[in-house]
Amino acid sequence: MADRQNGAQSPEQQVRALYEDAESNTATAFEALVNKPSFGQLLALSAENTAALTRMAFDGVDLLWRNLRLAGRADIVRLSRQLHRTEDKLERVLQEVESLRDEVARERESVERDAAGTPA
Amino acid sequence: MSVADPFVTAVDRAIRFPVNALEYTNILLTTDDAVVGATPREVVWTHRETTLYRYRSSTRRYGVPLLLVFALINRPEIFDLRPGSSLVEFLIGEGFDVFLVDWGYPDEEDADMGLDEYVCDELDWAVRETLRASGAEELSLMGWCIGATLCAMYCGLDRGGERPPVRNLALLTMPIDGRRSTYAQWVGDENFDVDEVSELWGSVPGGAIDFANKMMKPVTNFWTTYRRLWEGVQDGTARREAYQSMAKWVADNPPFAGKAWRQWIHLMYRDAGLLRGTVRLRDKSVDLRRIDQNVLVITAGADHIAPRPGTMPFFDLISSEDVEHFDRPGGHIGLVAGSAARKELWPGIAEWLAERSSGRGAETLKPNEARVT
Repeated sequence: MADRQNGAQSPEQQVRALYEDAESNTATAFEALVNKPSFGQLLALSAENTAALTRMAFDGVDLLWRNLRLAGRADIVRLSRQLHRTEDKLERVLQEVESLRDEVARERESVERDAAGTPA
Repeated sequence: MSVADPFVTAVDRAIRFPVNALEYTNILLTTDDAVVGATPREVVWTHRETTLYRYRSSTRRYGVPLLLVFALINRPEIFDLRPGSSLVEFLIGEGFDVFLVDWGYPDEEDADMGLDEYVCDELDWAVRETLRASGAEELSLMGWCIGATLCAMYCGLDRGGERPPVRNLALLTMPIDGRRSTYAQWVGDENFDVDEVSELWGSVPGGAIDFANKMMKPVTNFWTTYRRLWEGVQDGTARREAYQSMAKWVADNPPFAGKAWRQWIHLMYRDAGLLRGTVRLRDKSVDLRRIDQNVLVITAGADHIAPRPGTMPFFDLISSEDVEHFDRPGGHIGLVAGSAARKELWPGIAEWLAERSSGRGAETLKPNEARVT
């Protein structure tokens, strides 16, 4: 009791400190583990397999869907890409229009300034 | 302390357990309701998935607008996390005219978006629209993580002698050479067919990117975070809003456009092309030696995503005369979004920008001589 009053840890605090210590050590060990090239290979192969399986599943469902004469993901992606291309062109046209408008405004300002400066 | 105290504490804990358990689950289950990115803003420009927002300051004091650029993973709302803990809110309060680029949620149809498109089109056009909207001739660029690398690439792009309209360049936890990071152990190996994966997936799902990020510190991310929240609930110290807003932001993962992901892995974890000046976007070279803007680089001591050694070579490359380096303790995100940032880092950033945004002369240093503060 006297020890505790002097700042020593209670059994509960000791258990908590032990646990946090164990957790911190586990975290360090796992960080070392994931930093190993072998883990990297495992993760890379898993990513490749997951990507391939996802694509196969999507393609399978898409095939079924399109055979039902319904628009599938591939059709939507194609349409979206067409829209993107149109938007890209529109953006460039808009920028041209804006810069021409700015140029005209500058010209007009210059003409007005010249006119104001010319003695009557 | 009496002999009965531990017993009383245990009984109190037992009685409170159902309430604490309900509060804990409530915090987890209502995370989606958290308010993130609440500062009023207006849309200035959109193109494909990209949106440019403007946060108007009612006390605007500086003529040079500030454009914020976040990474291609996660959402830019981290700049405006929650009321009272928002860098955007702080900056507009300081009198800056703040703009933000949001890369949106690229999907399979955006698989053709590469770093070329992000730097030469989206960022270039966002800069253009920022200048048009603000009526300024120059702006300050502030990038964070991949966003910082994109900003550096933008300033280092060959424009046939023309200078980009950027006066100040603030780069937060910016990766330049990732070859010594954990990511490099995973994707740096030539056996990992990055082209095949990006082709199969189109755009790499945000969930996969998030999982990889969390796997860098698996125990901390999958266990310790939740354990600490539980302890906070038990002790009555859990900060619901702070936890929920950050958890909501962490869980919001847009896909990474396939081409950009592929290029990023080659650039960062295999070639380190930015160091060697071999990067080309749209057939134009990207050479960091072209960067002559006022530069502020912020690194975090405990950054495991963009470790400091991967940023430091930047100082040897640029030609800027005004270079400052804030090196602070903290993690990749916590450094700028953590509770301590508001008191120390944000005022530092605002002060650095203020000195260089109102036409007053900036303190000049010798080339490549960074001030570490």
